[in-house]
Amino acid sequence: MDFEPTEGQRQLRLQARALAARFDDAYWRQCDAGHTFPWDFYQAFAEAGWLGIAIPPEHGGAGLGITEASILLEEVAASGAAMNGATALHLTIFGLNPVVRHGSDDLKRRVLPEAAAGRLHVAFGVTEPTAGSDTPSITTFAHRDGDNFRIRGQKVWTSKAKESSKVLLLARTTPLADSPRRTEGMTLFLANLDPNHVTIREIDKLGRHAVDSNEVFYDDLPVEARDVVGEVGRGFYHLLDGLNPERILIAAEALGTGRAALRKAVAYAKERVVFGRPIGQNQGIQFPLADSYAKLQTVELLIRKAGWLYDNGQPCGAEANMAKYLAAEWGFEAADRALQVHGGFGYAREFDVERYWREVRVMKIAPITQEMILNYLGQHELGLPRSY
Amino acid sequence: MNIIVCVKQIPDPETPSSSFKVDEAAKKVIPAQGIAPVVNPFDPQATEAALRLNEADGGGKVTVISLGAESARDAIKHALAMGADEGVLLNDPSFDGIDNFQTAVALAKAIQKVGEFDLILMGRSAADWDMGVVPSGVGQLLGVPVVSVAKAIEKNGGSVKVERVLDDGFQTVEAPLPAIVSVSNEFGEPRYPQLRQIMLAAKKTVQIWSAADIGLGAEETGAANRWLPLEALYVPKVESNVEIIEGDSPEEKARNLAQKLRAAKLI
Repeated sequence: MDFEPTEGQRQLRLQARALAARFDDAYWRQCDAGHTFPWDFYQAFAEAGWLGIAIPPEHGGAGLGITEASILLEEVAASGAAMNGATALHLTIFGLNPVVRHGSDDLKRRVLPEAAAGRLHVAFGVTEPTAGSDTPSITTFAHRDGDNFRIRGQKVWTSKAKESSKVLLLARTTPLADSPRRTEGMTLFLANLDPNHVTIREIDKLGRHAVDSNEVFYDDLPVEARDVVGEVGRGFYHLLDGLNPERILIAAEALGTGRAALRKAVAYAKERVVFGRPIGQNQGIQFPLADSYAKLQTVELLIRKAGWLYDNGQPCGAEANMAKYLAAEWGFEAADRALQVHGGFGYAREFDVERYWREVRVMKIAPITQEMILNYLGQHELGLPRSY
Repeated sequence: MNIIVCVKQIPDPETPSSSFKVDEAAKKVIPAQGIAPVVNPFDPQATEAALRLNEADGGGKVTVISLGAESARDAIKHALAMGADEGVLLNDPSFDGIDNFQTAVALAKAIQKVGEFDLILMGRSAADWDMGVVPSGVGQLLGVPVVSVAKAIEKNGGSVKVERVLDDGFQTVEAPLPAIVSVSNEFGEPRYPQLRQIMLAAKKTVQIWSAADIGLGAEETGAANRWLPLEALYVPKVESNVEIIEGDSPEEKARNLAQKLRAAKLI
């Protein structure tokens, strides 16, 4: 058993940290308050080749694993960029995983080098207003139109749709009632977000304001057959391959955000003097921070294990789910404690912890709810009857 | 050109003041818990200058030297990730607590061991002690001209033309090669290391040279042999008092403030 990161992983962490540090809390506060996409930050990471971290070298990427990508996103989040920074990058990193794994050579050639260079933005459209965790119930439908398709329907929580020119879109090609299994009859498309057939409506939400989340309406959007990712009817299975890496990366982002919050809380607890002593000298302040430190160190180990399993081609469903579950719980708890340690100032925008708190909260809901993870663990790890 | 770049690893200047501590008895800075040291911010500019000069020259070699703890290897790897070719770490227990002059002696010996060089580049100073004397020291020991605080460097046949930053403007000077130039932040942003180069740099071996490897005698190194004995090291106490200046009108308040400042001999 070797807990030592490789020299490459160590250097990658230091460099990701150094580059992310060029964008300080004031930058993120401004992006968040102004609802503006962090273009300078995005370009800096794109130009230095980070977006292609997990894209194969033959398609313009660095060909590294989910372990390395998780280190990158943890450092980005821990810099204070939190989810505003991490989401701006991660859609390119894990969103295109189904294309890397199942796309045709033609599709990969057309898409991956552009994405790796940061010139092509791809949104991710799976969730629907009436089909969240129950993906097979989606109703967005791709009708045959000669050799091609026309897609009609509605998606929700499509992040970055306003900046993207393409969307990785899951649609039914066989109605649920006619599919031999619920998880069959869905197809994954890399569709153009053509404004003549697509309406995007931004959702006003709690946090992560620099990256938009949207309702997207598809009105007979034409998609060429060459833009089908993988096999027609097998889209759900292609998507599944990307879910575990997504959970591992999201866990790393929650860990990073928790660490950003903890760092602020510790610094404040050392500086803030009340009743003649720094508040960090009080166990009521110190113990919760020490407890969060222990929890964040622990979840990092689980994230590393899940990443290692994935990168070595081994099943990692339980570990990826548990890493996301615990990172979301403990990352949010750390942010909540940081807010509390700051007292009234924690509620003020200029101290930043409220921004971390708002942003890390979403990890308990997305990309999968904590409850669905417990369902998974209960059913698949403990052998208990399915509860839903 | 064969260019040597000297880099240093320092405590992170962004360390919160509440985490900055010194051991007054040992006269040492205590490394801040959980805050990793960083590359001196002026040094990537020296590396950038080396890379740009060789790119303009159509080739050459950039060797990076650092004196410091084992962790200073990361400062060298940063330069390698930017595009430098080779790295050497001067690491020896006797280097602990040495002063800037002893550092200059060690660097000069290491540079002589590297052998041929056309140009030596360094950051204008290290942001920890901020003395900026090492370039001059190394220049004196090697007998080569030193140009400090450069904002632009251009190779001009067998010499370098350097634009220097002054308090009230700029000065352009020319020095024959080989020479030493210290580079200032006015030089411009250093390049971001590319991810692929970061991974390649991670695989490169950094040579480690001890005091003996560079022919440094026992009397030339060690904190006991400092040229500049350190008398005391402490964090100054900053005390502040707030006094509200009273007055019936803004004019009167201003007058009262001015009188106070004059009485305190501040104006």
